[in-house]
Amino acid sequence: MDADALAPVTPGRPVGVAIVDDHPVVIDGVRAWLATEPRLTVLATGDDPDEVLRAAPEADVVLLDLRLHGRLVLDKLAELSSAGRRVVVYSEHSDPATMLAALDAGAVAFLAKHEGREHCVATVLDAASDRPYVPPALAGAMVGDPRPDRPVLSDQEREALLLWFQSMSKASVARRMRISEHTVKQYVDRARIKYTRAGRPAATKAALLARAIEDGLVRPEEIGIYRSRASTDQPTP
Amino acid sequence: MSAEPGTTFLPQHTRPASVPTPRVTSGSDEVGAVRAAAAVAHTSDRGARIVAVTIALVWHLAIGLPAVLTAGPALAVPQVVLGGWLLVAVLGVIAGIRLLRDAPLPAAPLAGLLLVVDVAVFASVGRAHLFSPANWVWGTLAWFFLVVLWGRPVHRLLALLAAHAATALTAVVLHGATGAADLARATMALYGTSSLPVAVFAGAAALATLSRQRAATAATTNAMVAEREAAEQARHERGERLNLVSRAASEVLTELADGRADPADPEVQRRCVRAAARLRRLIAESDDVPHPLLHELRAAVDLAERNGLPIDLVTIGSPPPLPVRVRRSLADPLTASLADARDWARLTVVSGPDEVVVSLVTPDREGPDPTGHPAEDVDGQVEHLYERDGKIRWTQTRWHR
Repeated sequence: MDADALAPVTPGRPVGVAIVDDHPVVIDGVRAWLATEPRLTVLATGDDPDEVLRAAPEADVVLLDLRLHGRLVLDKLAELSSAGRRVVVYSEHSDPATMLAALDAGAVAFLAKHEGREHCVATVLDAASDRPYVPPALAGAMVGDPRPDRPVLSDQEREALLLWFQSMSKASVARRMRISEHTVKQYVDRARIKYTRAGRPAATKAALLARAIEDGLVRPEEIGIYRSRASTDQPTP
Repeated sequence: MSAEPGTTFLPQHTRPASVPTPRVTSGSDEVGAVRAAAAVAHTSDRGARIVAVTIALVWHLAIGLPAVLTAGPALAVPQVVLGGWLLVAVLGVIAGIRLLRDAPLPAAPLAGLLLVVDVAVFASVGRAHLFSPANWVWGTLAWFFLVVLWGRPVHRLLALLAAHAATALTAVVLHGATGAADLARATMALYGTSSLPVAVFAGAAALATLSRQRAATAATTNAMVAEREAAEQARHERGERLNLVSRAASEVLTELADGRADPADPEVQRRCVRAAARLRRLIAESDDVPHPLLHELRAAVDLAERNGLPIDLVTIGSPPPLPVRVRRSLADPLTASLADARDWARLTVVSGPDEVVVSLVTPDREGPDPTGHPAEDVDGQVEHLYERDGKIRWTQTRWHR
């Protein structure tokens, strides 16, 4: 699969968003957040992903509540992702294992519900352009990833993720690491891109990777050779 | 922080799909169980050691010495027989004391020395006293083997006894005592003087093993019971906190729904923020038995919150077992800063098997730095960072294995 499987977002037209949640009050809340951004438009909402996407097949980004009617819909998430849907998961389940499972299943981004207000608009905009967006909670999950086959992150990438998770301020991380805010974001995003190699392949992961190469965030030759971290385990300074 | 009246979500359940975390306490429990078992086995073994040392020395003194002195000049070379007796007596006292003090002397040289004495005495005792009590090595030596080889595998004792038997039989043959009656006496003497030490030795070893196993089982059971009780206690506490938080949350939500509370009122907003932060923290607790570090931090957070500070506590991973001093160096600077925090605070703990990083971020404001505890330096294992950049105050402690 490759990035072409995803419908490109037409420049100039607002990004179409579909919201799937089984709580109307949440849908209203998310809609209110997105309404502050003219580049976004909500096309359809509902509690069933299939119905919502039938109503708005042209949606560029799907905001998906990971728990629908009492069960985690990781399988549905994987299905949508491999079909080339850019899914931004948002959930009150911000435990690291669930977040990493969502990334593995192909979610473009993961937003903890309590992070919604600050990060929702930015996440959706980045998702629409196949660019990574890593809110603090996700950064924490990545830096604490205990799985033996986790991607190998560089020391700076780990440190940037850790400090971003702790402080929720890229400016403060930049001061602390004595680098620019732009570089902080690069480290964080590069770590996220490495996660496109974890779990099964998905069109969305390929698209993130392709865009990262296009943007010069990673070089193609850096990508193919991720070894298991277990084989080169070393302490972080 | 992020949670506002309109965006406060109630959890649909109280137990999140929790990450199966390794038991943080099991490692130390196992060590504890092993230690307890070793202590019990040691106590039970001590009795058997005292018995072995006492028998060897008493027999040597009460039966061996009078016989040697009585036989005196009738022995072929009395000086060697008596000298051997003295040497073994001294050796026996030293080895016995060391054994009872848990510092046994090296077994191999002592065993070699005993065998040399064995040969020398058999060679010097003479034909007439070959089977008399004056040939003290018959009766006493096996018990000294026991003292010297205590705690070693039983086959070494058997090998040493075999060497002793070979020496005895060779001496019997060389002294020309090859009649059926003499050979029978020799065999009976060997059997009689060896079987009891072997039985004591093997019996003591078996008893020590048994008591070690039983003590280990008991200690493991106790640890499990303790852990279950701690888990039960933690569950109970969480239930109580959930009740408390749910009440606070439903109160403010009901007031909002009834129109009695105004979402624009800063006080109402603060109540919402606090209730949401508490609920989030409860949802995030996935450990059955809290790690002491997390327990301490949660306690500090609860305290700060009771003083009206909305605070987030996010933990990732399970800390490994940590010595109290390390735990204190990790937590103290944070709790000191927390006491000084205003408006909001974010406390995070990221743990791996070899690293634990605790961080507290609060908004910066005018005023002096918190007069925190000077970070106790635990052999440079815990680093402590504090900085303020006009926007935030950032306290971080970090432990490396």
